[in-house]
Amino acid sequence: MNKIVKFYHEMGSPPSFYRITGYWLKPFFVLALALTVYGLIDGLFFAPPDYQQGDSYRIMFVHVPAAWMSLFIYAIIGVCGLIAFVWRMKVAEAVMMASAPIGALFTALTLLTGMLWGKPMWGTYWDWDARMTSELILLFLYIGVMGIYSAYDDDPRKAARLAALVAIIGLINLPIIRYSVEWWTSIHQGASISLMGGNSGIKDWSMLRPLLVMALATKFYYLYSMLHRARNYLLRTEQNKSWVMRQLTEQ
Amino acid sequence: MSLNNLNPHTSLQSTILHISHAQCQKGGEPLFAPINLRLERGEMAVISGRNGSGKTTLLEAVAGLGSFCEGGMEFDHPDSPDSWLQHSHYVGHFLGNKASLTCLENLNFAATMNGSSSHENQLSAALDQVGLGGYEYHHAGDLSAGQKKRLALSRLLILNKTYWLLDEPFVNLDVAGCDWLFECISHHINNGGAALLTAHDNKRIHEKADHLIHLERP
Amino acid sequence: MGMKFWVLLQRDVLVAWRKKSNIYQPLVFQLLIVTMFPLGLGAGAQTLQKIAPAVVWILALISTLITLENIFKDDYEDGSLGLYVLSGLPLPVAVLAKAGAHWLTTGLPVILFAPVIAVLLHLPGYAYGVLMLSLLMATPIFSLLGTVGSALIMNLKNGGMLLSVLIMPLLAPVLIFGAGAVLETTLGNNPNGHLALLAGCFVLALTLAPLAAAAAIKVNLE
Repeated sequence: MNKIVKFYHEMGSPPSFYRITGYWLKPFFVLALALTVYGLIDGLFFAPPDYQQGDSYRIMFVHVPAAWMSLFIYAIIGVCGLIAFVWRMKVAEAVMMASAPIGALFTALTLLTGMLWGKPMWGTYWDWDARMTSELILLFLYIGVMGIYSAYDDDPRKAARLAALVAIIGLINLPIIRYSVEWWTSIHQGASISLMGGNSGIKDWSMLRPLLVMALATKFYYLYSMLHRARNYLLRTEQNKSWVMRQLTEQ
Repeated sequence: MSLNNLNPHTSLQSTILHISHAQCQKGGEPLFAPINLRLERGEMAVISGRNGSGKTTLLEAVAGLGSFCEGGMEFDHPDSPDSWLQHSHYVGHFLGNKASLTCLENLNFAATMNGSSSHENQLSAALDQVGLGGYEYHHAGDLSAGQKKRLALSRLLILNKTYWLLDEPFVNLDVAGCDWLFECISHHINNGGAALLTAHDNKRIHEKADHLIHLERP
Repeated sequence: MGMKFWVLLQRDVLVAWRKKSNIYQPLVFQLLIVTMFPLGLGAGAQTLQKIAPAVVWILALISTLITLENIFKDDYEDGSLGLYVLSGLPLPVAVLAKAGAHWLTTGLPVILFAPVIAVLLHLPGYAYGVLMLSLLMATPIFSLLGTVGSALIMNLKNGGMLLSVLIMPLLAPVLIFGAGAVLETTLGNNPNGHLALLAGCFVLALTLAPLAAAAAIKVNLE
């Protein structure tokens, strides 16, 4: 138990966070790369074609993990925002701001792959269905968090606190958006073709396996990329502290 | 000039403003080396320093419109230690006048917001004292820079606050205005008030000051 | 506290009243934009009628949006923000007063002007009641959320675009429920579900927005 408490405290202080996460970067990167390569090969070549969608469903192995990550990362940003705002924890600020661009990227990737998938499935690149619409609004939430931060670039501490506030508001708003958008599509249109149309097919282990592998790969990629960014964020915002000096002269 | 600003109920109590090891920051950098100040009633402190040394930031932090990154301030009041806002008033570089409101409306708003609802006659008298007699129904936006300053300073006469926090109060005032303000501050101090101010080119006020705070690079 | 609340609200209404462009500009803006719809879409009553619920609503929303930036920015720039922040009035209450004044000077005129826009777009007569009711519930939400956006950007020079990005996701559900209510009415359906959800949004905004705006002001003054 003591070890966990000690670890928790260490992760809260920028110098030890920087030191500890330094050891994690390489393993995470290797894992992310290996899992991506395995997942893509497995998904693109070995998984059986879908009985309805043929081969075009294979974009799912990118689309679905990216969609999961886009929501997962926003949840992390919201929670970190809450911690940063209430306890003024610098590491939480770093994780929050490091996560935002990655989350925005996954959201954009989700939208892009969704559009590419939509063309053969719906016959159009864009359809205002519930998932696509709330994903688009999610992108606006990400842009808001990053936008308020960069608007106050002369004072990073204030920028991070305001961004944290925006993230918290977004976190409260997210379920409302999802619910309202679902309500909206259920009334205005008939149920749109679900992208997971072959839902029965997904129970096939040979289809599920690459999906889960890719989901893991994106998690590790996120961890690697986020920690890298968070460490740089800490170096930049703490540049006058002695630990940064020591860190930089050692290297 | 009769400037009986002080509330008789509070004039007996001795209150002290303590600022200890205080620093303000901008963009994560401390602006000035830590400062200490003990300001009692009947005293005046003048803050000096080069441009950009953080004089305004310090005053705003003391007023409650900013914050210290290190150290802090305490207000010793025998009855209510958390009553700093009730005992201080800040007139900053941004004066707080609404351009589209008349002088009287501006003053009335400030008075009511500070819980001292004054009769229109009192407000007019205060405007008279700062040299804005006859301007009661002029819009604040139509006044000259010096007159705008006078309008903001007229708040001090109405609000019955012990601690005056003034950021460059002499700027934009003409010679007569500077003389008047000097007298006004002196009178306030002599009657148990206190003032913390910046005045970069006013020798007289520096000579009269009980405390000089020079802001230096950290 | 009540006294200070009313004085702040009164002051803001007076300031807006003195500078009347604040009040009529959103309405002129609506009129300009609504003129473009028949010009672009063709003047067929059927076409216009179809888009009327959405257009009336979106115009109300956008014309309010362009006024939000200055809720706190003006006060920050002339220093009068300090007068109420330091007055001892709890900041969320001051925010409520600001939102109230903004609603009286922007939201109320927009509601009263909505029938004019609706006539120009051939909105069916029986939908006017629901249109007014939905705007009556939604315009206070615009003002309340506007205080949050305005507080977040109050010391930025060009914060208008950022403000739109920040509050568009917040306004999306309001638009869905509000415009949806009017649309359902024109289609002959019962709009009560939409209106109830809109009322829920109002209660949520009323309780949370002042706290969020007050927090943003505090951070901005740190």
